[in-house]
Amino acid sequence: MAQMFPSIGEKRPKMPVFTIEECPSCGTKTKRAFKIGDYVYKDGGECPKCHAKTVISMIYCELVQPVK
Amino acid sequence: MSLLGSNSSLLSTLVYVILFVGSTFLFLFWGPRMQVFTVLREVKTNVEKLNVLRDKSKKEALDYLVVNCKAPKEIQQRLDQTLEYFTIMPVDMDPNGIVGKIEHVVRLQDDRMRDEIKRMAPQADPVQVSVAQNILEVATSLNQIFKIVRHFYIQGQKTKSYYILIQLQMIMPMIIQEADALVSAIDAFKDAEPIGDGLGPMVAGKFMYGKEKITIERETVWSKAEFKGRNLIVLKAEGPMGTVGRPHIGVEKLLSDPNQKVDALIMVDAALKLEGENTGEIAEGIGAAIGGIGVEKFRIEKAAVGRDIPMYAVVVKQSLIDAISVMKKEIAEASDKVVAVVQRIIEEKTNEGDTILIIGVGNTLGVAQ
Repeated sequence: MAQMFPSIGEKRPKMPVFTIEECPSCGTKTKRAFKIGDYVYKDGGECPKCHAKTVISMIYCELVQPVK
Repeated sequence: MSLLGSNSSLLSTLVYVILFVGSTFLFLFWGPRMQVFTVLREVKTNVEKLNVLRDKSKKEALDYLVVNCKAPKEIQQRLDQTLEYFTIMPVDMDPNGIVGKIEHVVRLQDDRMRDEIKRMAPQADPVQVSVAQNILEVATSLNQIFKIVRHFYIQGQKTKSYYILIQLQMIMPMIIQEADALVSAIDAFKDAEPIGDGLGPMVAGKFMYGKEKITIERETVWSKAEFKGRNLIVLKAEGPMGTVGRPHIGVEKLLSDPNQKVDALIMVDAALKLEGENTGEIAEGIGAAIGGIGVEKFRIEKAAVGRDIPMYAVVVKQSLIDAISVMKKEIAEASDKVVAVVQRIIEEKTNEGDTILIIGVGNTLGVAQ
């Protein structure tokens, strides 16, 4: 019965979307704002630590709390 | 004074009696009608809201086709016609062969929508066509929801039937929530951002990354991988297009390949959570983890049962709004944990040299491989 009425969820506020670039060599993760054309497993920029080619490992939205 | 006092008390008693009898008769005969008016007013507000949401989705669809897909501005009429497309489900009095018939009809509907978009916007690339199709599906759903709710509202208004209206009023909060969820999905589709339902393809993509991809069916690809002496066959819809592919046909083809005997099947999908469950929660189970109308599930089950292949399922819980909106951080971060769960299942349930078929189920918008 409950499966017929799953949680629809709360109305979400507009949240900023981030792209995570991960370096396959050293594992460094870089977070930046999402750009149109980004997709998961697309080649990213250069790793800031080891200068290897990064890959986009995640794209997600997150509620950012304003800094007090 | 006492005479005046007694008169005054008589008068007030009379007023009370009149008020009591009057209100009793008023509520007895006009009560249901007053309730009808109250419900009608409430439903009307919601019907107007649904109309606004429908118009918004139509405008978004038109804007996407014109601005992103370079369709001519004169497509408004054609778009309106597309939103009115209907699908007649096959007769099920004789259920023998019903799955094949439903699949045929659903596939035709899908092809027709896609052809219509290509005709309206011939310059659009495959990703844009898939995004436009997703947005049009949202607009079509909202159009249908609005028309059905309006139908019952007008019927209730005409007949003054309390019972029609009260049923509508009872389900209205859920309808509005669902309509809001659909509208919020458009933002994710427009920018081709991964949605919560893309969790399955994201996990499959992790296994496929850097491997050769072979197309097995329309918008469905697979790769070979290895893990601790086991051969992995990983299947998912072809990203980053907004499509779910045809994983059931992919599974049938891979299982019927005489050159490879599959020993276990692991399906990864997003699952709708119940109230109180946490978004991003991982659950393991048995069976074919795939939603939809049931055709895909039927064919995967048939293919696996016929060969006595165990089916393991790993799902990530999320609400409807999370599943069709931009992927939340909790869901994206669950993908690494799901990979670990899948690897543990492989280690525990299979032996070295076995072949395991992993299927990432869901809409792969914004997720490549």
